[in-house]
Amino acid sequence: MRAADGFAQSALQPAGPQSLHIYGLWHLLLWVAIAVWVIVTCFLVAAFLRKRSSEPGTSETTLFRTVATAVAITVVTLFGLLVASVMTGNALASRSFSNPISIEVTGHQWWWEFDYDYSQPGEEIITANEMHIPVGRAVIIKTTSQDVIHSFWVPNLYGKIDAIPDHVNTIWLRADKPGVFRGQCAEFCGFQHANMAMLVYADPPDVFARWEQQQRANAAESTDPVVLRGREVFLNEPCVLCHTIRGTSASGVAGPDLTHLASRSTIAAGILPNTLGNLAG
Amino acid sequence: MSSPFRSKNRIGGAALVATLLALVACRREARPLRDEPPERSLDVTARESPIEPGGSKLPDVSMKSPAEGNAASIAEGQRLFNWYNCSGCHSQGGGGMGPPLMDVPFTYGNEPANIYQTILEGRPNGMPSWGGRIPEYQVWELVAYVRSLSGNEPSAATPGRSDTLNKLTTVQLK
Amino acid sequence: MRVGFGRALLGLIVACLFGCTGRGPAGMETPQRGSGGSATNLAAPQPEDGQWVMPSKDYESTRFSGLDQITPQNVKNLKIDWTFSTGFTHGEEAAPLVVGSTMYISTPYPNYLYALDLNNNGAMKWVYKPGTSPAAQGEACCDVVNRGCAYSNGKIYYNALDGNTIAVDAETGHQVWKTLVADLNQGQTLTMAPLVVKDRVLVGNSGGEMGVRGWVTALDTNTGKIAWRAYHAGPDSDVLIGPNFKPFYAKDRGKDLGVTTWPPDAWKIGGAGMWGWISYDPDLDLIYYGTANPGPWNPDQRPGDNKWSCTLFARRPETGEAIWAYQIGQHDPWDYDGVNENILVDLPIHGQTRKVLLHPDRDGRMYVMDRATGEVLSAETFGYVNTSTGVDPKTGELQVVHEKIPGFGKTIRDICPASPGAKDWQPSAFSFKTGLLYIPHNNLCQEVQGTQANHIAGTPYVGALVRMYAGPGGNRGVFSAWDPVAAKEVWSIKERFPVWSGTFATTTGVVFYGTMEGWFKAVDAKSGNLLWQMKLGSGIVSQPTTFKGPDGKQHIAVLDGVGGWAGAVVSGSIDARDGTAALGFANAMSDLGKYTTRGGTLYVFSVP
Repeated sequence: MRAADGFAQSALQPAGPQSLHIYGLWHLLLWVAIAVWVIVTCFLVAAFLRKRSSEPGTSETTLFRTVATAVAITVVTLFGLLVASVMTGNALASRSFSNPISIEVTGHQWWWEFDYDYSQPGEEIITANEMHIPVGRAVIIKTTSQDVIHSFWVPNLYGKIDAIPDHVNTIWLRADKPGVFRGQCAEFCGFQHANMAMLVYADPPDVFARWEQQQRANAAESTDPVVLRGREVFLNEPCVLCHTIRGTSASGVAGPDLTHLASRSTIAAGILPNTLGNLAG
Repeated sequence: MSSPFRSKNRIGGAALVATLLALVACRREARPLRDEPPERSLDVTARESPIEPGGSKLPDVSMKSPAEGNAASIAEGQRLFNWYNCSGCHSQGGGGMGPPLMDVPFTYGNEPANIYQTILEGRPNGMPSWGGRIPEYQVWELVAYVRSLSGNEPSAATPGRSDTLNKLTTVQLK
Repeated sequence: MRVGFGRALLGLIVACLFGCTGRGPAGMETPQRGSGGSATNLAAPQPEDGQWVMPSKDYESTRFSGLDQITPQNVKNLKIDWTFSTGFTHGEEAAPLVVGSTMYISTPYPNYLYALDLNNNGAMKWVYKPGTSPAAQGEACCDVVNRGCAYSNGKIYYNALDGNTIAVDAETGHQVWKTLVADLNQGQTLTMAPLVVKDRVLVGNSGGEMGVRGWVTALDTNTGKIAWRAYHAGPDSDVLIGPNFKPFYAKDRGKDLGVTTWPPDAWKIGGAGMWGWISYDPDLDLIYYGTANPGPWNPDQRPGDNKWSCTLFARRPETGEAIWAYQIGQHDPWDYDGVNENILVDLPIHGQTRKVLLHPDRDGRMYVMDRATGEVLSAETFGYVNTSTGVDPKTGELQVVHEKIPGFGKTIRDICPASPGAKDWQPSAFSFKTGLLYIPHNNLCQEVQGTQANHIAGTPYVGALVRMYAGPGGNRGVFSAWDPVAAKEVWSIKERFPVWSGTFATTTGVVFYGTMEGWFKAVDAKSGNLLWQMKLGSGIVSQPTTFKGPDGKQHIAVLDGVGGWAGAVVSGSIDARDGTAALGFANAMSDLGKYTTRGGTLYVFSVP
């Protein structure tokens, strides 16, 4: 069962200023393309319906003028679209914000690592596959990869930005209204490329602050014997070779950080709902 | 109107199409996503010594590696070699805390079954015991990669590009 | 009669002073401090009793001998008296101790302790075998070395690789106690020589490359029970930082810096052990030592200053309480451990006599610091350094060169000094005669590619691929004489390989050191001219010592047996075709095998 049910994932529903720019360009292109198509179709239909005349053909001058006019209109239109595209690119790259959140996004085969940077290293948050951002506040995203090229794509918030090994790409985005947005990997990266999704939660500032605090805390302690037995199994089995759970001795970084796994709504890179059944199987 | 599709061209065209189809139908090596655990012989596993008492030698019934010569497995083995910190002690084959893996013979044997046992059981002078920590199919992938470090895997299957600061390819090792 | 009384009183006082130098007959004396004197003026050496009871010779770590029979004039006649084969061929880094008429040497794994009879050409008196776990060989990053033992009050104290600290009766060789202090399964080992201060045996752990949690532990000399343990990361209560903690610089002040300067929980696996040298000032009642590198080597995985790695601590030996600390290198990205020796002397700095410590650090700087307060008086470079431009005099912070910091996604070349530093563990010696510091050291640069380090307890946690090579000039080693007051080099001798051995200086002006090819050399302390040399069986990475034998003659003892991190290419049979092997040393030492093989023999010399 796809977790996509119920989550927004569309470039045509922009939720922030960056995706709004892209959306505007898309609309411009769409309507210009429609207009061009209508005009060209009209001329084509007219050409089919025109009666054959007895004259030998159109004069050279008229032909030349007609073609030249069409070319000129095309060039002007294309140039206009180019200007629009460049302006959109500039708008996307311009930074006029303060107090951003900075997140390092690292693509792995086949999951997403999110590393929140703060001025105090002790406040760093590391999580996987589910990103929370505050509404109305700029988020700087730095993408890179640990193995092959991936691409970070949350269509409601921004376009595709490649995550390239040994290289950092930086963009910024902002969500202007709360919601849950689904994203996925947009660069073929191996067998599970199609199953490499993520969820971005845009939370109101107070909800986000609570989430930050909760993520910084170590794993909760429990006295439930089933939970304790599970902890014992986790710490003595291969799990610790790849996973971290802060507050325990598990500190592997080859796989996703599992501290506060229960706070995430999906597992397996946004593919499966986070339920006991899915986690067990 | 003359047709371009004369019988001579038709046969030539059909032959071309058939050749192309045959080439396209060539399959690459099988890429097992997850191997079945091999059948482990209960009686005899790999021998670490070449001498057997009694003057004659029994036939070899040790486990066979499913990853031998398989490029995908060796590439996975390379990833796991770094992931599980094998490279921390053995570097990129040159050794360090642990012995080098580029030279044969190995102390505890370099047949696939020997290396498999070494990884699972550990060895007294410092090799940790990974049994129960790594799934068996991954151990075979590591075995294949370790053998490639000493040039014992076909050069067509070993990773050609040096991903690290200084790693020799099989061709350079020979 | 007043005048007569005054004279008598003066005579009484003088007589008391002569009688109260605290020295008994040479023999199995308990050294109160240094080699038995009670002088409080560290501008002069300790009184010489002909023994060598701890690897650093005295608490001030001077490695200076007052024996005067061997001189620059007669050293050319130095001959071998006798030899002793330890039976092992891994790197021999220990210092032969002499107490009375017995010599004690500790070996690398399996960590035997030999007592040799100086009355009988070094014949074995006894040997103690601790039964060190063979699995420890797989947790030692840089050869299975042991840097020596220490004598105090009738017992020899030393460490076994698998994490045991052992006390052995110096007369009989029987074990008095053995305490497990380090957890092998977590990647911790012990390689350092302990220091005995009052009733405390001070021990630090190794494992900065294994993602361990570093500490210094004090055990009771009589029972072996742990008296205190100071961790080097974590909350203040673990680091034994209390109300008396007064770091000199603001950057080292704050609450729980051992937690807040790391990402969450990273300090638990952050390294910062203590596998080097400890010094002690009995007047200030402070022990001094530096902590090791933070883990992993890849700095991008641990943003923050990473306190208290690469930090010099001054602590009280009884309780371990920290009095001051100075972090030499914040957020160290180059594996510049701070564990090198701290030599305690009183020197005239800017016209004033100051109680200082001299600390030649891995980062290539000679730190001259006020040992009472932790103020840095100078930090000039004693080798070629391009990773830092200086130490800010106001803040005390190391000014690093950001372009040379390795990390994810980049390969940085020409990092000088390389990770073994301008000088690694090999201890220097101070001569009160010449006022110079004699430094055996390295001239290496490296390139580093950052990778992701995965933490699996008991396995390496490094995250970097390294290749080292010779620094400017092409020579990989240097032996130099340094003037600590003028803060500059006086003379130096280039060597083909890193000078990985220790050294000592005599009052007559002779300095000894060994090369990794196997040449044991005596040079003139003033000029550096070669006075004598002999080719021993294997490369030398041990600490030579000198003593007065029961025959009344001055002898010199040194162990051969190449190894250690620099010699791993030979002692560990590493394949140098992989230049990144041995944490990058394989590339720099690929030709070592052409000059030396493995060994492990003790040589004792004298002038006939």
